Amino acid sequence: MTKFGKLAVSAVALASAVAANSAVADTLEDVIARDTLIVGVKNDYPPYGYLNDAGETVGFEVELAKYVAKELLGSPDKIELVPVVAANRIQFLEAGRVDVIFATLGVTDQRDEVIDFTVHYVSAAGPSVLMPEATTVNSWEQLKGQPICGIQGSYYNKKMTEEFGINLVNFKNQADAYRALKDNRCIGFVFDDMTLQKKLEEADWSEYKIAVAPYEFLPMAGGLREDDAAFAEAVNNAIVKAEGEGKLIEWETEFGMPHSDYIAKRAEAAAAQN
Amino acid sequence: MFGLDYSWLADPAYQNWLVTGVINTLELAALSSSVAILIGMLGALGLSLRVFWLDALIEFFVEVFRNTPPLLQMLFAYFTLSTLGLKTTDPVTGLEVPLLSAFACACISLSLFGGALAIEAFRSGLETMPKAITEAGRSLGYSRWARFWRIEVPIASRVCLPSLTNILTNLFKTTSQASVITVPELMYYAGQIYNDTFRTLEVMILILIIYVVLVSILSYGMSRLEAYLTLPGYGKGQ
Repeated sequence: MTKFGKLAVSAVALASAVAANSAVADTLEDVIARDTLIVGVKNDYPPYGYLNDAGETVGFEVELAKYVAKELLGSPDKIELVPVVAANRIQFLEAGRVDVIFATLGVTDQRDEVIDFTVHYVSAAGPSVLMPEATTVNSWEQLKGQPICGIQGSYYNKKMTEEFGINLVNFKNQADAYRALKDNRCIGFVFDDMTLQKKLEEADWSEYKIAVAPYEFLPMAGGLREDDAAFAEAVNNAIVKAEGEGKLIEWETEFGMPHSDYIAKRAEAAAAQN
Repeated sequence: MFGLDYSWLADPAYQNWLVTGVINTLELAALSSSVAILIGMLGALGLSLRVFWLDALIEFFVEVFRNTPPLLQMLFAYFTLSTLGLKTTDPVTGLEVPLLSAFACACISLSLFGGALAIEAFRSGLETMPKAITEAGRSLGYSRWARFWRIEVPIASRVCLPSLTNILTNLFKTTSQASVITVPELMYYAGQIYNDTFRTLEVMILILIIYVVLVSILSYGMSRLEAYLTLPGYGKGQ
């Protein structure tokens, strides 16, 4: 075969592989055949998914993922946890490397265009701003034109720059952003409120406070590939069952989260339904 | 076409980001390339003087900045220099802030990295000088300095142009690493756009095309310069 012929054949093979992948078959069948649920979770995001002192991935959403595995396959251990980050979790899901993501995924319209969401099991505070104790700033409007540290790829970055006129200084990871805040490269750090609250509990951060409160609460959900109805139903049933049994409230306690009305209400509704 | 969706390009915010990104990339590349060439010339001049301690100093500089990843140099400049005391007091807030901005850190480390490579390129140009030519210069009564400026530099700079083109195109592409220390150049905004729109493939293709076009313009300019400066009997003048 000529060089060009080989190239053409491999291109066709690649294209058909891509096509086969995008016309997603039935994830539920695959999961049952494999006897393992592959889940994308965070491992740097307490309390939702993080590494404990023993180096195991634990957290609120990890418990939820194990519960879903138990419902689908009979055992919470029939699970493979794949660490993902905000910038690659949707790509992991679309590429078929994970079956579902439980990775602090906020429900937004733009994401809804490319993936499907499970039921919205958490209502999480959006971003807030961590600043030194001495600051007099207490509203988003006061941050106009100011250098604020952030994280590249965060969903609210466009709103920050276009609507609030903030001069965002975006890092690849949280460690760099915290460091830059301490170096006074920016006057505050805009990030997910729950994570910042947790940061304040650390001794080095006692001279800082949440200066600007979140402007929104965003439902959080698991992410599924589009049009994967049977799998979506199975996952949703498992989540609602966990809600009805009050599991999510137990996990809030276990991982030191403040009890939210949202989860309590959903638990009541789910319990009434069962 | 091919199922690619470029509707996000209609958003003025993204247009603005792309334009700002291209401008910052060009500024960073232009500034660091110019300084790198200057460093290269001065370094090669220093080496040609054959002074023992100056040679050692320049070679040390070349080894340090050529043999370390520019990404590491940028991170070092951005995070470590201020800890080591390179700070100033902000006149407005009265806080201690790092002296070097992200852009300055990126520019300095790229200039030093490119400069180290350029010294070697210019040195190789000077060293290929046929002995007969310098001897001819001497016999015509040229001083050391006049020989350097009027004979060696004109010939050497032509000889090392192809490798200088390589260095400059590489330096241009390396500017993309400055996104790590928050310099808002093209890659910085590209990442934000595909995280917002999830059109990763589409954004990557566009960014790729922008880089290909920009770097092609640079290398075309360099090859025109090479053709313009060509020596009869050498390279393109053969």
